Amino acid sequence: MDPFEIEFIGENRIVSIIPNFSHDKIYLICGEFGPFRAGLPMNVPLWLAVMLKQKQKCRIVPPDWMDMEVLENIKEEEKRSRFFTKMPHEHYMVEAKLLLGAAAEDIPRASEVKTIIKDIWDIRMSKLRTSMDALMKSGGSYGRLDHLTMMEINSVKPLLPQAMDELHKIKMMTRTSASATLNNSTFTQSGSSQNI
Amino acid sequence: MANSNYLSISDILVTNEKVPCKFLLDLPKMGFLDPSATENDLKAGTNIEIPLWLAESLYTRRPPLVSVDLPKIYKETYREILNADSCTVDMHKLGQHFYELGCYIAKHDIKGEVSSTLLNTFRQRFKMILSASVSTDSINSVQPLSMSERKRTEAAVVTERALSSWLKIGDCPLTTANMVANHRKRKRAEMELL
Repeated sequence: MDPFEIEFIGENRIVSIIPNFSHDKIYLICGEFGPFRAGLPMNVPLWLAVMLKQKQKCRIVPPDWMDMEVLENIKEEEKRSRFFTKMPHEHYMVEAKLLLGAAAEDIPRASEVKTIIKDIWDIRMSKLRTSMDALMKSGGSYGRLDHLTMMEINSVKPLLPQAMDELHKIKMMTRTSASATLNNSTFTQSGSSQNI
Repeated sequence: MANSNYLSISDILVTNEKVPCKFLLDLPKMGFLDPSATENDLKAGTNIEIPLWLAESLYTRRPPLVSVDLPKIYKETYREILNADSCTVDMHKLGQHFYELGCYIAKHDIKGEVSSTLLNTFRQRFKMILSASVSTDSINSVQPLSMSERKRTEAAVVTERALSSWLKIGDCPLTTANMVANHRKRKRAEMELL
């Protein structure tokens, strides 16, 4: 999958905004939102929030987790733990990227938040690569993907499953020598040509 | 080997690889198989290289007409090299279809060591492919890859590129800070790579 497709999926996440206009309920494929009352916080999908922000129709309420203290804790835990820790939610990277891009002024200490999220991402990516290599070396036949987000899983996608597949095939083909013959159809083919 | 069907092109290419064989019986009028033969008949005991598909069908007859020998990359000497450090081997030259052919050839190995060599080699080279796919600098420094490895590396590079371009695009690209990029440790790591 392309990262942009994952971004698209992640854009359905609900965030809080404070609109500066009033409007009736709107009806979208993903649900009903509104009514909009100027100055009253409400929930909308991320894509709508970003769109309204770009038109300067709202202010975005920073999500609970986009806070330096919370992120510091996550980063510390991620550093300490050998395994992946639980992220605030499945699309933290998408949400961070879009909100920090469109509404940096609504988020307190935006540049620090940006840096720390990038740090967390880097720690997790390097951990992912190390554990992929460890998985191959130890000869394990399965990997646990607990707490990995969609974007992270996607980043290893063609390589790791393909490699596991091929490894499994080599194991199967070489273990049972009886089944390691050529395709049966090849034999019928050669058999019939001998009859002629 | 991705899908080993009768009509799979890669499988056909693999079974078209030549393997050394020894003929166990006299074969009349088959002398043309051996380019150095002067007679019409193929004598028992001749050693020639024939495609795997032919070797397999001659081997599975009762009694078998040939005994299949291991191609040189699966022999003891090369197995030792591969087990020691397979990342230094030029797979492009020595075995375009190393893993796929190895699967077919493994049952002709009396000691049964080919299969463990295949697995070892695969694991060792996986790390090389992994690190090559994430950094564009090191892709030139890896030893030539076999056909299937090359395909996998290419796919991995495509994903990696897509991801890094996604990270860069937008209003606030999350990039490496100057201070971190210029850090001594990181520079040294790059120097060692080159």
